[in-house]
Amino acid sequence: MKTRIQSLLMLACGFALGFSGQTNAAKTTKIVIDGSTTVGPIAKAFAGYAMEKNPDVNITVSESGSGNGAKALINGACDIADMSRFMKPNEFEAAVAKGVLPVAHVVAIDGIAIIVHPSNPMAAITLDQIRDIYMGKATNWKQVSGPDKQIVVIGRDTSSGTYETFESLVMRGEKVVSGAENVGSNGQMRQRVQTTDGAIGYVGLGFIDRSVKPLKVDGIAPDMGEVATGRYPIARPLYMFTNGYPKLGTPLHAFVTLYLTPKGQEIIESIGFVPVTRY
Amino acid sequence: MQLATRKLLDRTFTGVGLLAVGLVAVALVAMLGPIITRGLGAFVFQETIEHRRFLLERFGRGDRSEIEAEWAEAQVAREAIHGRITQFESELRKLDWDQRQQYAGPLRDLKDVLHELLGPFPDEPKPVMPRDQYGPTRWDRAQVALEHVLFIEEYDYSDPTQMGKKVLIPRANQFIGTSLAPLFGELETNLDKMLLPRRTFYWRFLFDESVDAHLFGGIWPEVLGTLYLTLGAIVFAVPMGVISAIYLVEYARPESRLVGLLRTCISTLAGVPSIVFGLFGLAFFINTVHVSQSKSVLAGSLTLAILILPLIIRASEEAIRAVPATYKEAALSLGAGRWRTVVTVLLPAALPGILTGIVISMGRAAGETAPIIFTAAVSVGQPLALWEAFSQPSPALPWNIYNLCTEHEAVDAIRHVQYGMVFALLALVLMLNGLAIVLRARIAKRLRG
Amino acid sequence: MSRAPTHNLAAARGRSLLRSKRANRLQHLASLAGHGILFAITSSSALAVLFIFWFILKDALPFFQLRGVREFFASTAWYPVAEPPQFGSLAIFVGSGLVTAGAIVVAVPLGIGAAVCLSDILPFAARQWVKPVIEILAAIPSVAFGFFALVVLAPMLQDRGGQMLAIGAWLVGAPVAALVIFVASDLLSARLPARRRLVGRLAIVGGLGGVACWGLANTAAALDAIEIPSGTNALNVSLILGLMALPTVVSVSEDALQSVGRELREGAYALGSTRAETLLRVVIPAAGSGICAAVILGVMRAVGETMVVWMASGNAAQIPSPWYNLLQPVRTLTATIAGEMGEADHVTGSARYHVLFAMALCLLTISYACNWISEHAVRRASRKLR
Repeated sequence: MKTRIQSLLMLACGFALGFSGQTNAAKTTKIVIDGSTTVGPIAKAFAGYAMEKNPDVNITVSESGSGNGAKALINGACDIADMSRFMKPNEFEAAVAKGVLPVAHVVAIDGIAIIVHPSNPMAAITLDQIRDIYMGKATNWKQVSGPDKQIVVIGRDTSSGTYETFESLVMRGEKVVSGAENVGSNGQMRQRVQTTDGAIGYVGLGFIDRSVKPLKVDGIAPDMGEVATGRYPIARPLYMFTNGYPKLGTPLHAFVTLYLTPKGQEIIESIGFVPVTRY
Repeated sequence: MQLATRKLLDRTFTGVGLLAVGLVAVALVAMLGPIITRGLGAFVFQETIEHRRFLLERFGRGDRSEIEAEWAEAQVAREAIHGRITQFESELRKLDWDQRQQYAGPLRDLKDVLHELLGPFPDEPKPVMPRDQYGPTRWDRAQVALEHVLFIEEYDYSDPTQMGKKVLIPRANQFIGTSLAPLFGELETNLDKMLLPRRTFYWRFLFDESVDAHLFGGIWPEVLGTLYLTLGAIVFAVPMGVISAIYLVEYARPESRLVGLLRTCISTLAGVPSIVFGLFGLAFFINTVHVSQSKSVLAGSLTLAILILPLIIRASEEAIRAVPATYKEAALSLGAGRWRTVVTVLLPAALPGILTGIVISMGRAAGETAPIIFTAAVSVGQPLALWEAFSQPSPALPWNIYNLCTEHEAVDAIRHVQYGMVFALLALVLMLNGLAIVLRARIAKRLRG
Repeated sequence: MSRAPTHNLAAARGRSLLRSKRANRLQHLASLAGHGILFAITSSSALAVLFIFWFILKDALPFFQLRGVREFFASTAWYPVAEPPQFGSLAIFVGSGLVTAGAIVVAVPLGIGAAVCLSDILPFAARQWVKPVIEILAAIPSVAFGFFALVVLAPMLQDRGGQMLAIGAWLVGAPVAALVIFVASDLLSARLPARRRLVGRLAIVGGLGGVACWGLANTAAALDAIEIPSGTNALNVSLILGLMALPTVVSVSEDALQSVGRELREGAYALGSTRAETLLRVVIPAAGSGICAAVILGVMRAVGETMVVWMASGNAAQIPSPWYNLLQPVRTLTATIAGEMGEADHVTGSARYHVLFAMALCLLTISYACNWISEHAVRRASRKLR
């Protein structure tokens, strides 16, 4: 019995060593990225590209919300903070107090599309109507000249930058009705809307696919062209924040300037965001 | 009450009891069924030539010449489709502007969906993102893509006061009377020649790194992260847990007030909600003690260790108590000291029981999500070497299951990965628990004689 | 650690059987030290819980200093990022309570039924098969349950929710109605003269059965007509949490039933009781405190669960209207902590960060109270049985 247990333990140790042996050799540099779920896809795609180009770099990406990204940057817990909103004054103060100087890189422009289930005959909506729906004043699509169907309001957790953009550009200080469902991310939002007939929700442009139907807002369709011309009303820049401007020639510098290269722009467009060079 | 009624009631009572057990079993099957069948789908599926090509180009796996020959064969089959598109485009150039406009939109859409079905056309430059470089790697995804090529999903909004009804319009309708019209029939009949599906057992799903945010490849970083976290938690929790159990059984005076307090503490610890452990791990290990600069496997392991500590203490306590008193008495009567008795007699005798507890708590640590959200888990990262685990965060199965089924930009396209991950996690946890059940059965057998 | 005494012992054995005074004293000291170290390790693992309390409390108190107590417990306005922010958490508490109550409604009848089955009905061989099933259920990670709730159950509820509710109503209602009818018919027909008893009984069964069928069919039809707008709601979460709490309820109440012992059972059988009567009238009342403990531990499991509620409860900070409407989305304490922690930063030290710790503190208090009550119940049970 005893020897068997011993051999079992040995086996376990062997496994552990084997595992670590199978992984790549020591990474010389690591880049830790944390922050917004909206910027997440860009960061993940960039990370995949950069790690392929330069295998000595290990890049980890967490998507825990813009605020968390700022917090991590201030604490020195990450190298890049993905944010779908600009840093707040109090975050800047806290950063400077800790000797961190946040530098913003605008990597892409994103529009927030209002999406509904494709079976919904609505094609356009106005900002005021959206506000009414999210305030709970309109509870049936009938009230915004749509079909006779109860509205299922879906919003985002307050920890997301998308929520804050929506709050400032659409709600303008009004409060979202308490009966609104809240989801944690763009992906989940689209999933909830595509499976729910009466639903309304909002996601970043990159998350639109044929399973949901984006509405025109004030007559403007949410697509890359309209966002690029600046006519679409609910658009915002997406940021990556670093502590100070990264040193030229470092992998970090290469990473945060990737969005300026043609490859970077192609990546951004292929995930569905608008490259800044087009703006 | 009549005797017959009483008997009937008795039977019904038995029936209700059996029904309860039956319902539990049904619920278990209803839950595990889809997870296991669809989870296996991540390992055993019809792979297309695109998948073989991907494996060759990314991981250098497979017989190069054979795959290239197959690729050439597929290209020949696809030639017809690509040819029709080019031909149509050149025809279009000859038409006048109005007619050209009429076909421009549908053609663009058609090319988009064809990209999804067959990957980039041979005359196009190679896209940057792997997701655009390859067509569907799985035959089931290819079927979905084919559906999108053949039919346009539209909704009938004729009555604006009602929700629309879904109608499928054949895409061919848009190209009636043009040279593109036969394309759709050819696509439908020849798709298997263009993608060459073949059943495969992709066991390396467990051991491959993911490419392009899990759209390709496997789940090795997650599996490795989970193993590190689990083993780390065990390394920290087992010594403390077993020693505490020894103290509580052999040394502590049971009637002492202090010991009573300790016991209350331990049982309270067992009831603390897992999310609170996460908050505590963040506030204590990362923000106060600074075991690492930010999230790390080490911080996660420590947090998980506290979580499983009460489990290990309890299991070890029971195991030590279950050792017959005669063993201890014999050792003491031979002149062994108390500590020596514990180390040489009690612990070896209790070892299988303790191991059972350890194995069960390993399962618990592997499956917990809430404690590692703030302390260890990230959504994308490479597999770590052992020494990197002290300072770096890692993806882990439970967290990435959550992440992939909620936050990923292509949730539907990677269902198989999600199911595969859930399956892998379940398999790990159930294997550990199976081991525990077997261990326990052996102890029971030994105790019986 | 306390290896010293053994060394000492060995040394002493080498020389003579009697130990010198010095060796004796040394050994005493070493054993004391060893004892101390063991105690220190044990208490540090026990103290972890005090640490947790302390750290949570430290970050929770500033919230109450900043915002007071009343708003937190009495208001339902949860707008942590509005200007000015509002932190009314009543709706969130109600949400937690609601899904927990739902879970208990699912877990307790099933759990006690299964426990009775395991302890008294099934033969030993079958028990060996059922126990692992329960253990497997206990071992499934919560994220797997959450995945199932979100990916499988939620769409199912949304598409066929009404039908599922109707089937559920038949499954629960039919056996209950049948039982009630049989007992009622027996009691009523007992008053009739013996010769007309059978006919009368059949008539009563027929009449009541008809009424019950009609009622059930109507209820089922009403339920069938319900359209569930959103599958991520309190009902979904309640079902899954019930399933998760089940193993705890089963194993603890089975222990309680077992500990009642043979004597009481044999006594009851000897007096002519059927198995059902023995269990219902004798064993279950005797095991009452233990079963109580089982229920409370089940509550604890349901209250503290994070992933399932975060993924599948809908996270709407509202009190459903009417309050028992499980078909509406709700928000729970655990999901709020998990979801909001991302934005709430301790760097700027806002009330928004501390409110989450205040919630954690409430969770801790609830689980501590549950733990205390269940231990109390178990202790009382064992005292009573002794």
